[in-house]
Amino acid sequence: MNTLTDRYLAATLRSVPAPRRNEIASELRASIDDMIEGRTDSGQDAATAEREVLTELGNPDVLAARYADRRLQLIGPTYYLIWLRLLKLLLTFIPALVGTIVTVVEVAEGKGFGAIGPGVAVAMQVAVQITFWLTLTFAIIERTQTAVDLPEWTVDQLPVAPVRRGIPLADTIAAVVMLVVTIGYLTLQQFQSWVRDTNGENIPILDPALWSFWLPALIVVLVASAIFEVVKYRVGRWTWTLFGVKALLNLAFSVPVIWLALSDRLLNPTLAERFSWLADTDNRDVLGAIIVVSTAVIMIWDLVDTAIKTRRQTA
Amino acid sequence: MVSEDVLRTHLQELRRGTVVVASLVALRHPDYGYALLQRLTDHGFPVDANTLYPLLRRLEDQGLLTSEWNTEESRPRKFYRTSDEGESMLNRLLDDLAAVQTSITGLIQGVDR
Repeated sequence: MNTLTDRYLAATLRSVPAPRRNEIASELRASIDDMIEGRTDSGQDAATAEREVLTELGNPDVLAARYADRRLQLIGPTYYLIWLRLLKLLLTFIPALVGTIVTVVEVAEGKGFGAIGPGVAVAMQVAVQITFWLTLTFAIIERTQTAVDLPEWTVDQLPVAPVRRGIPLADTIAAVVMLVVTIGYLTLQQFQSWVRDTNGENIPILDPALWSFWLPALIVVLVASAIFEVVKYRVGRWTWTLFGVKALLNLAFSVPVIWLALSDRLLNPTLAERFSWLADTDNRDVLGAIIVVSTAVIMIWDLVDTAIKTRRQTA
Repeated sequence: MVSEDVLRTHLQELRRGTVVVASLVALRHPDYGYALLQRLTDHGFPVDANTLYPLLRRLEDQGLLTSEWNTEESRPRKFYRTSDEGESMLNRLLDDLAAVQTSITGLIQGVDR
């Protein structure tokens, strides 16, 4: 015999703890028969009544979960928040850390730009692993009903209410992204400048001779600027000390650039072979002047702007 | 106009605990699952079968109900009855239900307690 009721019982009992299976089976069968009888007594035919009764009882897995008092959630409200906090905490730095280490190791082995790929891949794997194992741990805690002593919440845990910040997060992010892009460009143009000679070989825009000192020095200044942006955000507003550091960093970048441009050492001499316009000394002077003036203008404008902000925020 | 969904959710919340109270009261006279379901429905406690049957088992596990198999009728049925423990808990629940009713009435009439 394999009626719908038999199949329904089998589906329900499958996930009910074994010791009570037989008893639940007899009771549930009797209840279903009673319910069907209630409908046939009022004139319904048996097949329709059975169908309707089983539909009313609903998904057998849900019913079984109710019998077993089992939770129909992976992580419930008791642990969800702490799970989320831990996950965020771990994901903020571990994948990036591991990815960076892998990249550095690959670079040390002389893989050049091929080192970025494995670094990113490893970082993503680490993120997936962290998420999986953390979630699994919490799902097990949720199911074993282990009484984990979560620290009680107290008012002392309240974070300091955010004061109106003089330095918006968006500005900090934009500034850091700009600096990273610039560092990336300085490095990338050596290998991939999209300017090619007649043989299709890549021509760096900047003089490769600068790699002996000036380009690394400029990159160091840019990295220091990125760190400065983060520190500035933590401080939360402009101070005259921050202004001083900012001015120093600006000078440390723009003065070498201006000097190199004036002494015609910035651009790759090979470019002149590719573009005849650049071969002319006068033209090179004009280009140098444009670079000098625009660098100086940007630097001065930035310093004036910063000075105004600092005065307003320290007032 | 309040949306039907919102109304239904609130009614469900309001009714949730009363099913336990109603079952404990009704089972002062022993009864089996389906008959209890009918009696509760007749008395204005509509309850889903898939909620009531597991609930009876849970109350039994908690010692608030006792059960006994009756094999005299056409099919064997499990009869539940409110235990002594269940009775004393029921009294506490009924007191609280009455207190809720009193408080609501007080609030409606604007009388300070």
